Amino acid sequence: MQLNYDYIVVGSGASGAIAAKKLVDEGVNVAVLDIGLKDEYYHNLIPNDDFETIRKKDKQQYVYFLGKDYEGISWDSNRVGSQLTPPRNFLNKFADKLMPFGSETFHPLESLARGGLGGGWGLGCFTFSKPELEAVGLNEKEMLSAYQSVVSYIGVSGANDDATPYSLGDLKDIQNPPNIEENLKGIQQSYEKHKKNLNKKGVFVGRSGLALLTKDKPGRLATKYRDMGFWSDTNKSAYRSWITVDELSSKPNFSYHEKCMVLRFYEKDNSVKVVVKRTDTNELQVFSCKKLILAAGVLGTSRIAIRSFDYKKNKLPILSNPYSYVPCLQWRRLGKKIEQHKISFSQLTLYLDENRNNFDVGVASLFSYRSLLLFKLIKESPMNFADSRILMQFLQSSFTIAGIHHPERRSPNKFIQLEKDSNSFTGDVLKGSYELSEDELKTNSDRERKICQVLKKLGCFPLKTIPTPYGASIHYGGSMSFDDSGEFFTISKSGKLGGTKNVYVADSSGFGYLPAKGVTLTLMANAYRVAKKSLKNE
Amino acid sequence: MIADYNEEAKKITWYLISAPLQDEEALRYVEAMSLLKIELNHYESILFSNMLENKWRMASIDAALALKDPNNNVRRKLFVMLAILEASPNYTKYFLARDFSVFYYFRLISISFRSVIRAILGLIILYKIKKKCN
Repeated sequence: MQLNYDYIVVGSGASGAIAAKKLVDEGVNVAVLDIGLKDEYYHNLIPNDDFETIRKKDKQQYVYFLGKDYEGISWDSNRVGSQLTPPRNFLNKFADKLMPFGSETFHPLESLARGGLGGGWGLGCFTFSKPELEAVGLNEKEMLSAYQSVVSYIGVSGANDDATPYSLGDLKDIQNPPNIEENLKGIQQSYEKHKKNLNKKGVFVGRSGLALLTKDKPGRLATKYRDMGFWSDTNKSAYRSWITVDELSSKPNFSYHEKCMVLRFYEKDNSVKVVVKRTDTNELQVFSCKKLILAAGVLGTSRIAIRSFDYKKNKLPILSNPYSYVPCLQWRRLGKKIEQHKISFSQLTLYLDENRNNFDVGVASLFSYRSLLLFKLIKESPMNFADSRILMQFLQSSFTIAGIHHPERRSPNKFIQLEKDSNSFTGDVLKGSYELSEDELKTNSDRERKICQVLKKLGCFPLKTIPTPYGASIHYGGSMSFDDSGEFFTISKSGKLGGTKNVYVADSSGFGYLPAKGVTLTLMANAYRVAKKSLKNE
Repeated sequence: MIADYNEEAKKITWYLISAPLQDEEALRYVEAMSLLKIELNHYESILFSNMLENKWRMASIDAALALKDPNNNVRRKLFVMLAILEASPNYTKYFLARDFSVFYYFRLISISFRSVIRAILGLIILYKIKKKCN
């Protein structure tokens, strides 16, 4: 087995896959080190059909809808990973065992899957505004060019409307948005009526930018509106990071090493040595490269950095967007039919930009509810199951779910800490603590209240606001900081890790601020930028 | 044990959708119970055997628990059966969105009303059972 490469990329998620692609395209010799879990079971069972047809015809549907061990009938919605459908459960598989995380207050989701958490991405694409990028610590000009390259590669659909400054900005090469479903069309029409007043209050509503094809791309097909997006990735209409890994696997200058848990790195004689513990044999292996790119996700990269710097510092800050969801009843939709052919992802997004500066914007992604099945919704109702079932059948077409994300800043009460633990696979356990200040709680609750008021105005009656456990937004950042001092646990503007000569960080570890907008497109653009910088030796 | 599960599956199904349970879904319930290992404490066991007595009792106790103790293990059993029924083409019609009819609003109001009555009755039953247990 070859153990020497020009570049080693750790992780194959949104950041790792894009960094690897950029490097491979430039002709250098690249290896990705990953655990690489895949769904070997469910994808063969799910028919290539639309949701309604499957529901009416497929006798085996219980296997993938409920899970082969009935793990999809989740009673504890606070459990990490409970938001994943059974065919997506592999994303979080073995994470507890191989990367233990202990906390009473912070419940992050981590992945050891091929393609990482990108496999469960809701596909929302947002560019960060200039003030947001400044607060994050990224250069606007570099990021705009990186956003464009990534969008052209992954394929993004969206519209040019009032919300464009908050979603895709001036990006080119955007495909037409998918057909909007009736449930969300009603909200859009209502917004058009009240637009003038709403805009004055800083409220903008528009089509979501989605990493979903509405026009074929080589090897991938446009969406067929099957409403099975939470269960399968048929036709590769939705972009997933594993698509990039699969694509790169046919290139001669790319290698993918699975079952490799990267423990630490060290630099010796102008090369970087990467120490790996194999998950199949428990043996240690040392890979060597000229440059190392860490893209293991904020928590994964923090673990590797802390170990590599000999625990010089074992406590690092953490950022994660607080997230709540609000089931709403859209009275105009009462008794209306749900169309058979639709998509599952959010097609409309509401932005609350009270200061009108595209900064500290509250974001509510709007979804209709169907393909996640009715029993989960029935559980949330304060009624007996039998009556609730009938009521939900009647009300189903009028349900709209608003997923509200809040912007996030550092504070001393949000941190992670790596502690040695000889019983764990990696010899340590990451612990975390997360607490919002009174001010943050008040700001977030005010924002939710204002968004709920806007929803009412748009004909959506909010039923209740359901906060999710901290960490459940799956947006993480901020364990290190962008800083050119070269000190340990800093990241230079070009992405180089302080205290090293040839180690770069391509994930969101350096982000000093997390806007409420989904972070995935920015993760990919930053990874592209870092890969480019590393090639230029910057 | 399997016979018990089978029997409770039939009763729960009758309560949830007022329809008989078919063998495949009954088997799934038995399988789910053995995999999920839902254990009831003394109080929950009494509640559950009370619920199995008849459909109205089950509805009332479920309604009261939905308000007072929604995460009770007794409700979890009902929830498992509900999920199994929904994920079967034999029962799809009980879960797909209903079309508009002239009785639409009447049905909405009557079900909400019935649910309130069931909750009130259930709270009384719960009070009595708790008293007995103490």
